[in-house]
Amino acid sequence: MPKNIIGIIIFPGSNCDRDLSVAIKKCMGINPTHIWHNTAHIKKADIIFLPGGFSYGDYLRAGTIATKSPAIKELIRLSKKGTPVIGICNGFQILTECKLLDGALIKNDNQLFQCKNVFLRVENKINLVPKLEKNKIINFPIAHSQGNFFSDKDTLKSLEDNNQIVFRYSSRKGRINSDNNPNGSLLNIAGIVNKKKNILGIMPHPERAIDSFSNSKDGISFFEGLKAII
Amino acid sequence: MKFRVYINFKPGILDPEAEAIKKTISNMGYKKITNLRKGKFFDIEITQSKDSLKEIEDLSKELLSNPIIENFKIEKKE
Repeated sequence: MPKNIIGIIIFPGSNCDRDLSVAIKKCMGINPTHIWHNTAHIKKADIIFLPGGFSYGDYLRAGTIATKSPAIKELIRLSKKGTPVIGICNGFQILTECKLLDGALIKNDNQLFQCKNVFLRVENKINLVPKLEKNKIINFPIAHSQGNFFSDKDTLKSLEDNNQIVFRYSSRKGRINSDNNPNGSLLNIAGIVNKKKNILGIMPHPERAIDSFSNSKDGISFFEGLKAII
Repeated sequence: MKFRVYINFKPGILDPEAEAIKKTISNMGYKKITNLRKGKFFDIEITQSKDSLKEIEDLSKELLSNPIIENFKIEKKE
């Protein structure tokens, strides 16, 4: 059986790549392949991850400089062929900056770097995370100052109409309102997919919710489910 | 040739930094200042050609600004 390849693209300033590696190894039993940002050719990958952090120091806008790196050009090429891509936190910012995902992630409306556990409601079940059923409430940590999802009204409507909103910030019981919105995101959006649903961006960190010493272990089902798609 | 590219948030995009500056201005006692928007600019030097302006426009669209949240304006310096 050919070996499955799970790639993690690492930029100068990425800082969640190790946690992500540990989560993938623990939950999927696969040693991920680390791909340096200046890699000009990615031969094959079953899934590509973009980790959190501050790629290129968040210079210009968060995620922008990374979009011009050779590895991202490869990611764009492979994603158009259907390769699954998951961007977490700064990875989500990179995916919006290179227009693989709609919208933009702007500064949190409350002027705070938000670092805490939040509840998310699964809005739509997608093949990328098959273990997370619609309306399931999960608990993941967030750690960002630019996670405020913004788009124009037409784009927002299209995201809703095409069932592209995957995660929304909610209460423990699944209520979605401004009290449970940590950053000002429109419609409490915490994660979306592209129209083809092979590219997911999520601000919260599932890789930080896999151990008994963290506040939640809900990240395990996020990663375990990925085994079904490779 | 030299160009200056100004980048500003589109109207309606919340800029918490500008909000904090505005609040400070008010606390300082400048009661007549009613609004403030923050932006940035880039001074760019380019070898002159007939496509110079077009190149600066492309660069502004592709890298310097994010058209979802920002507007840009190009000014020819010399």
